[in-house]
Amino acid sequence: MKLWQKASALCAAVLVTVVAVCSGLLLLYAQRTILDRAEQQTMERQYALTASFETMTGYYLLSSDPAAVRDSLVRYCFAKFADAGSVLVHGKDTVFIQQEVNPAALLPMEALTGGIQVLPVRNGEARLFIAGSRVDVGGEPYGVYTVQDVSDVYRAARTMTGMFVLVSLAGAALGAALITLLMRRGARPLEALAAAARRIAGGEYGCRAEVSGGDEIAALAADFNTMAAAVQDRVAELEDTARRQELFIGGVTHEFKTPLASMLLHTQLLRSANMDREERDRSLARIEDQCRWLEKLTQTLLKLLTLRQDIPVEAVSADALIEDVRASAEPLLTARGVALYTDSDGGTLTVNRDLMRSLAVNLADNAAKAYDPGDPDASVWLTVRDGCIEVLDRGRGIPPEALPHIFEPFYMADKSRSKKQGGSGLGLALGKAIADAHGAKIEVTSVPGQGTRVRVLLKLQVYDNELIDSPPPPVGE
Amino acid sequence: MKNRILVVEDDEGIASAVALNLQFVGYDYALFDDGRKAAESLEEDHAYDLALLDIMLPGMDGFELFGYMERYSIPVIYMTAKTDSASEIKGLRDGAEDYIVKPFDTLTLMVRIEKVLRRTGRLNTVYRVRDVELNSETRAVTKGGEPVELQPLEFDVLLLLLKYKNLTVTREQFLSEIWGYDFVGETRAIDMKIAGLRKKLDLGDAIKSIPKRGYRLEER
Repeated sequence: MKLWQKASALCAAVLVTVVAVCSGLLLLYAQRTILDRAEQQTMERQYALTASFETMTGYYLLSSDPAAVRDSLVRYCFAKFADAGSVLVHGKDTVFIQQEVNPAALLPMEALTGGIQVLPVRNGEARLFIAGSRVDVGGEPYGVYTVQDVSDVYRAARTMTGMFVLVSLAGAALGAALITLLMRRGARPLEALAAAARRIAGGEYGCRAEVSGGDEIAALAADFNTMAAAVQDRVAELEDTARRQELFIGGVTHEFKTPLASMLLHTQLLRSANMDREERDRSLARIEDQCRWLEKLTQTLLKLLTLRQDIPVEAVSADALIEDVRASAEPLLTARGVALYTDSDGGTLTVNRDLMRSLAVNLADNAAKAYDPGDPDASVWLTVRDGCIEVLDRGRGIPPEALPHIFEPFYMADKSRSKKQGGSGLGLALGKAIADAHGAKIEVTSVPGQGTRVRVLLKLQVYDNELIDSPPPPVGE
Repeated sequence: MKNRILVVEDDEGIASAVALNLQFVGYDYALFDDGRKAAESLEEDHAYDLALLDIMLPGMDGFELFGYMERYSIPVIYMTAKTDSASEIKGLRDGAEDYIVKPFDTLTLMVRIEKVLRRTGRLNTVYRVRDVELNSETRAVTKGGEPVELQPLEFDVLLLLLKYKNLTVTREQFLSEIWGYDFVGETRAIDMKIAGLRKKLDLGDAIKSIPKRGYRLEER
C-alpha cells in the first residue's frame, strides 16, 4: 500500500469516526429536545384542564350536595373543559372518556400524588403521552388525565435520524474523497523523485528531480539532486580512469608482445633449425637483448605503478640536485658526444630527491637524443631557478602534431629512432607521473629544427600566468 | 624457381628470425624495416609472390603499404601485435589474405605462407634437395634426372621434409599430417619410411635423426 493511500485511509477513518460521534450526539440532543417539548405541551394541556376543572368545581359544588348532584355537576364541569384526549376517573368508575385508551389502567390513581405526572406509553403503532393528576372535589378524589397522541413527534424523530445518518455518510464520503485527492497530489513530488531515482539507477546519470516549492519534499529533491550530481561526477571520473587504464594496458600488451614474438621465433629456430654456430650465437644474443629489454620495461612499469602512492619529500638545494643529475646523466651524454651545462639560483626545492633526479636525468637524456650523432655543437642546458627545473636543447625539436601526445604511455613520435636509442615510450609518462606526485606541472615548448624546452614548475601558485602560458620558444643565444 | 617473399618489419629480432626461417625452408626474401622505403623499392623490383607486413611501421603503416602491394598484385599477410578485432577486420576487408598475431610460432607462419601461395596459384610445386627433385603436383620424383619409384607414404614423408627443409619435423607432425589424427599405431612406421627414402634416394646423411624429436632434412 502506498504512503498516500495509507495516509488517506487513516484520515478518512478519523473523519468518519468524528462525524459519526458528533452526529450521534447531535441527534440524541435534537430528539431529546422535541420529545421534551411534546411532554411540555402535554403537561400544559393537563395543567390547564386540571386547573380549570378544579376551579369550576370548587366554585359550583357545595359540600351539602347529594352524590347524584355532585356526579352530574362534576361531569358537566369536566366536559366544559375536556377535549378528545381528556379522561376523568372517580374510584373505579371512568366518568368521562372519548377515546379507547384507559389511562387509569396505565397510570393508577393511587400513584398520582400531588402535581402532574407524565408517562410515555406505546399503544400498538401509536405513541402516547399520558399525563395524570389528582383533584379532590367535595372530599372525593378524582383522577384527571390527558392522553396525547405523540406518534407524529416520534415519526419526526425517526425521519430526523435517517436524515442525520444520510448527511453524515455523504459528508464523510465527500471528506474522504477530498482527503484522498489532496494526499495523492501531495505525494506526487515523491513519486517524481522515485522515478528520477529509478532512472539514475538505470544508468541515466544526467537525470535530475524537479524541485518546486519550499517544503520538506522540495528540500529532499534538492538534496537528492546534489547526490545525483556527485554520483554522476564520480561515475564520469571512474569511466575516464577505466578508459585510460585500458589504453595503458593495451600499450603494455603491445610492448610485451613484440619482444615475446621475437624470443619465441628465435627459440623455435634454435630448437629445430639446422643452424651453424654463428647463427646460433646471433639468435641467442637477440633473445638476451629482448630479455634485458623486458626487464627494463618491467622496472619502469613498476615505478610508474608505485608512484600513484604518496611520496616522501625533503628540502633539497638546487645545487645538490644539479650535482645528482650531473653524476647520472653526464656519462650518458658524454657517450653521445653531448655537452651538459648547468646553472642554478642556489635556492631550495621541496621534492623527493631520487624521483626528481630521475625525472631531470630522463629529460636530459631525451634532450641529448634530439641531436643527430656526431653533431659537434650538441649541448644540453639544465637550469634550476625559482622552483623551476628547465632542460633545453637545440636539437631537431618535436613535430607540433606529436606535442599533445608525448606524455602518453608508449607514444613515440619517431618509433624506429626511439627504439634504436633504447626508448621504451614510458620515459615522459613516468616523468609526468613524478611531476603529478609533486603537484608540479610539466610544460613543453618546441620548434622543429630549433630545439625543445621542458620546464618542471614546482611552485605553481607563485608563477604569474605569463610564465606558464606563453613562454618564448627556445632559440640560439 | 623459389618463391620470393617481401618482409616489412621494424623489429630486428622478429625480422631476423622470420628471414632465417624463410631462408631455411627455401624461400627467397627481401627485408625492409621502414614502410616508405619498402614502398619505394617496389618501383624497381616487385617480383614478389607474397608480402609479410607489420602494421605499425615507421615511414608508412601496413594498411597504407597494402595499397602498393595491390598495385603489383602481391598477396599480403599482416603480422602484428595489434589484437583488437577492429584492425583485424580492417586488414581483411581491405583484401589481405591473412592475419597473424604476434607472438606466433614458426610452424603457423610457414603453414599460412604455404596456404596463401597455394590459394593464389603461386606456390612453387617443385622441391629440390641435392640431385633429387620432387613435384608435388604430378607426384613425380627424380634423382639425377632419372625417375624414382616411391611408395605413396614415402612420397608424403619426403614432401613434408622438403617443405620444412632445415627445420625439424617432429613425429607428431608426421603422424598428424600424413597418417591423420586417428593414427595411434607405432611411430616405427615413420622410421621405416625414412629408411626407405635414405636408401632409394641416397640421402642417408641428409636426412638427419634428431633424437627424441623427429627428422630433419639438411641442406645449406
